[in-house]
Amino acid sequence: MEEIEVNQSSESKEEEQRVWSWGAGTDGQLGTGCLQDELSPQLLHLPFSISTLACGGAHVLALTSCGRVFSWGRGTSGQLGRGDMVNSSYLKPISFFDGYSVTQLSAGWSHSGFVSDSGCLFTCGDGSFGQLGHGDYSSYCSPVKVSYFTNNNVQQIACGMRHSLVLLKDCLGNQVYGFGSGKRGQLGISKDKIRSVSLPQVTNGFEDVEIVGISANGDHSASLSANGHLYTWGKGFNKTSDSYIPQCLSSSLCFSKTALGWNHTLLLTVTRLYMTCSWQSSISVAGDGEVFMLGGSNHGVLSDPEKMSPAKPLSENSNEAALEKVSGLDDTKVVQIAAGAEHSALVTGNFQPSFFIYLSTYFSLAHLFSFLNAIADNGIIMTWGWGEHGQLGLGNTSDQTKPKAVSLDDEVQSNDASFQVYCGSGFTYAIRTLSLPSQT
Amino acid sequence: MSYDDVEIEDMEWNEELQVYTYPCPCGDLFQISKAELQSGEVMANCPSCTLFITVIYNIEDFLDKKQKDKFEPSKQQPVAAA
Repeated sequence: MEEIEVNQSSESKEEEQRVWSWGAGTDGQLGTGCLQDELSPQLLHLPFSISTLACGGAHVLALTSCGRVFSWGRGTSGQLGRGDMVNSSYLKPISFFDGYSVTQLSAGWSHSGFVSDSGCLFTCGDGSFGQLGHGDYSSYCSPVKVSYFTNNNVQQIACGMRHSLVLLKDCLGNQVYGFGSGKRGQLGISKDKIRSVSLPQVTNGFEDVEIVGISANGDHSASLSANGHLYTWGKGFNKTSDSYIPQCLSSSLCFSKTALGWNHTLLLTVTRLYMTCSWQSSISVAGDGEVFMLGGSNHGVLSDPEKMSPAKPLSENSNEAALEKVSGLDDTKVVQIAAGAEHSALVTGNFQPSFFIYLSTYFSLAHLFSFLNAIADNGIIMTWGWGEHGQLGLGNTSDQTKPKAVSLDDEVQSNDASFQVYCGSGFTYAIRTLSLPSQT
Repeated sequence: MSYDDVEIEDMEWNEELQVYTYPCPCGDLFQISKAELQSGEVMANCPSCTLFITVIYNIEDFLDKKQKDKFEPSKQQPVAAA
């Protein structure tokens, strides 16, 4: 990958990072330098350490731990933000952001959004539905500041297929905005059908709710409130009717994270810390960190028309898709979730070494080893859903209805390793960060 | 089985490919040409995978070529689903 531009000061080596990608790759979105699908995880050799990734329809945005922004993959709408409209299988920095400190980014189907530490919002890529928020329907191949947010108080951007959501900080009541295509209600700005808007408008229904996170994918929108409630609007799940106003999911569960696909959303229940628990109580909280799915009636059976369920008749008394616990995980604690268009990924919990030191003061080695066996599934990545392009990373193109462990062909079995997983429409990225003991 | 039902007004005209397109979950695009629409075809295939969508359109909008060449989905009023 000689075309990679490396112009960074030496980054901290207290962490060692490995990055893998797999799935659909014909637009260069896997960062391998090849234009082909990969059925198994491919180890990438990156000249920088990744702080966070955003994966879109067929492009990827990366924020490095030095604060630079790189992009690669499909660029035909300008979504790579590099000043041109061409695909690139090579990772290159978005030079526009030299001098800015980007803190958050989002990749939609063919547009991109960036938030700076000063609370400014920038967008680029396909603007034909108004999803860039600049008051026009033009596409831009370099990031352009969204001038609507004059107070520079943008906290988060979420890019869907043809729409965008913005979360403002310190702005209770008017904290969520939408722009772009609104035909399925995904902007939440009106009870009437709005074809599209090119300037941000306030999403209704959050007058008395504190929103802490937003999410957009396909024609869906979602947000999480500070007290762990999920709100969804836009296209209905499992053929339920579209929602033009955010709907609060009726559930007694408390959610810490949501990940939207094109026909499903994953939900992670709030995780409590094990560190302060005794052996007995740590078992008692094993139910936390559970994954639930809303919609997704065809998740994992897309390639098999026989198994696909036709439009589900709505339950007589409710237009709400049922919330179902993802099966096959038993008591495994899940710490992270991600959703592609039609596939899902999760990271299982990884116990901290200090926890074992704590345990070792109470239990014999034999006890500890049996405990280690019992949690052998921890700290791994699992995938399920549609697999035709290898996006599950299981070495084949099969669909999976239940989570399956991905083999990263990685020799390190360390409790110091932490995993992150990210899904684009038809591809997946995994990052393992290993904390190295200080050399000094 | 069809992945989804999509109205023609929600598809985008791709000048380069000379087809109407709609995003496919694999990352590629479902595609259908004007000739296919004129012949009554309702299936738009994705060149990269096995999925297809059902296109909802009024065939009469595509039959009279001369008159309908100005048809631009992004500016068109909603087409009544047949």
